[in-house]
Amino acid sequence: MKIGLEIHVQLPTKSKMFCSCPTTDAPAPNTHVCPTCLGMPGSRPVLNREVLVCGIKLAKMLGCKVADTTWFSRKTYFYPDMSKSVQITQYDHPIGVGGVVYLNGKPIRITRIHLEEDPGKTKRTSDMHALVDYNRSGIPLAEIVTEPDLATPAEARAFLAQLIGDIKHTLDLGENSERSIRCDCNISVGKERCEIKNVTGLKNVETALTYEMVRQIKILKAGGKIERATMNFDESRGVTYGARKKEFEADYGYIDEPDLGIFHIKALADSITIKEAPAKMIPRIADQYGIDQKMAKQLVSTSTDLALFFETVAGKYGKDLAVKWVAGPVTSNWKRFEERGGSTDGILEIIGRFAAGSINDSECGIEIKAFMTGESAEAAAESSAGLETLINEFLDANPKIVDDYGKGNVKAANSVIGHVKKNTGGQYSSADVVETAKRLIEARLS
Amino acid sequence: MDKDIVARVAKAAHIRLTDEELEKYSKDLGDILEYFAILDEAPNHEGNGINPIEVADVLRDDVPEEKFESEKLLADMKTYENYIRGPKLV
Amino acid sequence: MSDADTLSKLSKLNEKYQMFNDFCRDGELGDAKFLFSAKDNLTSEEYETCAGSRILGGYRPIFDATSIAKLKAAGGKLVGKTNMDEFGFGTFSANSGFGIPRNPFDLSRSCGGSSGGSACAAAVLDDHISLGVSTGGSICCPASFCGTYGIVPSYGRVSRYGLIDYGNSLDKIGILSVDPKQMTKYLPIIAGKDKEDPTSCVQPELKITHKKMKSVAVPREAVEGIAKDVLEAFNKALEDLKSMGIDVEYVDMPELKYAMPAYYILATSEASTNLARYVGMRYGQQEGDLTLGFDDYFTSFRTEYFGDEAKRRILLGTYTRMEGFRDRYYAKALQVRLVVIDAYKKMFQQHDAVLTPTMPFVSPKFDDISRMTPVESYKADFLTVPANLAGTPHLNCPCGYNADGMPIGMQFVSDHWNEDVLLTMAEEWDKQFEVRKAEVSL
Repeated sequence: MKIGLEIHVQLPTKSKMFCSCPTTDAPAPNTHVCPTCLGMPGSRPVLNREVLVCGIKLAKMLGCKVADTTWFSRKTYFYPDMSKSVQITQYDHPIGVGGVVYLNGKPIRITRIHLEEDPGKTKRTSDMHALVDYNRSGIPLAEIVTEPDLATPAEARAFLAQLIGDIKHTLDLGENSERSIRCDCNISVGKERCEIKNVTGLKNVETALTYEMVRQIKILKAGGKIERATMNFDESRGVTYGARKKEFEADYGYIDEPDLGIFHIKALADSITIKEAPAKMIPRIADQYGIDQKMAKQLVSTSTDLALFFETVAGKYGKDLAVKWVAGPVTSNWKRFEERGGSTDGILEIIGRFAAGSINDSECGIEIKAFMTGESAEAAAESSAGLETLINEFLDANPKIVDDYGKGNVKAANSVIGHVKKNTGGQYSSADVVETAKRLIEARLS
Repeated sequence: MDKDIVARVAKAAHIRLTDEELEKYSKDLGDILEYFAILDEAPNHEGNGINPIEVADVLRDDVPEEKFESEKLLADMKTYENYIRGPKLV
Repeated sequence: MSDADTLSKLSKLNEKYQMFNDFCRDGELGDAKFLFSAKDNLTSEEYETCAGSRILGGYRPIFDATSIAKLKAAGGKLVGKTNMDEFGFGTFSANSGFGIPRNPFDLSRSCGGSSGGSACAAAVLDDHISLGVSTGGSICCPASFCGTYGIVPSYGRVSRYGLIDYGNSLDKIGILSVDPKQMTKYLPIIAGKDKEDPTSCVQPELKITHKKMKSVAVPREAVEGIAKDVLEAFNKALEDLKSMGIDVEYVDMPELKYAMPAYYILATSEASTNLARYVGMRYGQQEGDLTLGFDDYFTSFRTEYFGDEAKRRILLGTYTRMEGFRDRYYAKALQVRLVVIDAYKKMFQQHDAVLTPTMPFVSPKFDDISRMTPVESYKADFLTVPANLAGTPHLNCPCGYNADGMPIGMQFVSDHWNEDVLLTMAEEWDKQFEVRKAEVSL
């Protein structure tokens, strides 16, 4: 089975792609509009620089070759939501081509990424009349087209989930930002493919593809032939159905868009460095520093900034200290540190003193915690000392834990948690307890 | 020119042609394209020619601005509760 | 003359010559420094703007075209929107959804097109300038037929913001006037970068240095198939130019023969996408049966309100960009434009301008026009099309009159951004050639 996706992503600009209308939520229909996005005679498009910048970032994220020179085309089709009956998009000179993305180590090839404007939105009255709101007309989109390298609907969903995470990361959208994704899904069980248009959201993509997969398998089993077709997806019923016969691609009649000219983006592209996508970062860090994938994932998923700090420490004081301190207490205190906002320079300085031998193991742990949480050193030392005493008592009473840990059963350290919680309530975080336990066990073993 | 092609072109362009008109435009387009055949002999060129002069890298800063009042824009349009009315979506 | 008299004269002249679609019928001219008119495909807030098409009937733009706004800012008063071929599709202004302007030298003849109303206004109104738009010859042709000067600047010189598009890579806004000094005065005013039109933002400044022309090239290809009366006047003009100290050299420009097909393909390909927006929603004609499905609804408007030539060009342009034909026509035409530009650039290494007659014949009678096939009328543009395709500035100068008293024009083409040499040429020419003013009787 082969599945390929065409993914539409809205780019996070403040104004529209070709006019300065705001992209924020509008107070009412047709209030964020102007002659350009209404397609009024005499109006003209002017390209928003930020659209190119976002496009280049995404092209790089996908491992695409960014074009030296790119331009736009007109795709002509008639629909009430398309104010010019022409969509400004990219045809033969897209911003990026030929990339690859790894999904759990499997390469998914990216055909191309291009930029285009969104049409308006139509609403149907009860008797099917169109009511059109052009507030969305001219909202900038990137369309990402994959090769048919996805093997199952579940894989398609996993790929999209990863892609959304990567896009948020690359375009600095914040973890919780709404980023709806709209897909055209191509699927072929046998030779001929069907395209399901306009599926929104991860779950729907998987449902639509699964329904279509089963439909095609049934036809083939019965000795039938799959006809190439365009399908729609009914979200409420979870089924696909044949779409009205739309224009064939041949009739879009693409021509270049003379009103915008061309864009030499090589220098701009060279000046843009993107933050590494989490999905790429995990295997790279694991590989580069010889740590296991789990630890790399723990670092990256806590925060890519934490992972970058790990690399800084490893580069300066060696991988072992990075594992000991960054993957240890720095990780367990990261969330509080992030909330408070601060520079990692202070942590680096503490680890530096440990590396130089000016402070010992427990002093280093206390200082890091105090620095990251803002507690006083005494409080940190006290709670740390209290915690250490508690754990040491438990380990004295249960030497088997140390033995098991020494034999490679790292999870043995987890059994400390229950004991500590029982005696102190929620005073210490689980992560703190485990880290401290590991440190104390390792001290006993060495 | 092949009438089937002209009919397909007219459909794509959303123009309805009577049989007479189809006949007429097929002939006209045929004559015109015959006159254009000389283009096949013309030399090729390496460059790109979207515009007769090079228009390159003209960009706008991403600054939102509302230049026109919605009311004025919609004044001559058919609207319903600020939506623009259109034909049936079938 | 009082404002009322001026306006009443305007109205009477319009009755006779039909140069305007919408115009200033009453009110005051205020302290206007000068009066001007503009082709009806340039938007203005105070008049309907229909671009000669019934499909835009009743359209009232909410913004002024930059060129119009700049003339207003310079103290001008816009008195009328001039009649034209629908969306610029024609050579005789006869393909108009509204009035057809009459030639001031002979009412039974055409003003030329597609800026026919602008040439007519420039010819019959006193101290008047008119904004025209040229895509393939739409300023020089009517200027030639009506015996006025007409300047078409470089592509990208005058902002196209507010211009109702025909072919976006070809459209250029220029000025028609019987007085070349007016063109020299007002072209720099309407020129300049405009952030609303990216194609205007790459221009060097338009400086008027009064650079005199020293040498012109006359392509042999351009004097073949020219009517005898036109050729006689043209040859006489060449002698006059020589007597002004200008070298005249005959040259070969075989590439010019490819300009016509390349032009028509690019112009109609672009036009067919520009006109896709006219579907009976949002602006212009909107009174239709909304109970129809959208395909039927759109088709019914386009079928009813587009004129014959508009339909022909939409069909042609849709065809030449369609998958399967696109490479042979559209993509090839883009390359051929560059071939033609290169041919001009080669000429400009040695000459200041390329000179030809403007039109192959004097203005024809409407009866004869109605008998022309589409190909015959397209061919009439073969002298004006190459410079328009190349986006190079060009100028019509009246250069003679035939036995019937009909004006004949010659056309100078200069290098991109080099309007200066053309404007100076027009002023120099005007000193030694007597331009006849059409007899205007009411």
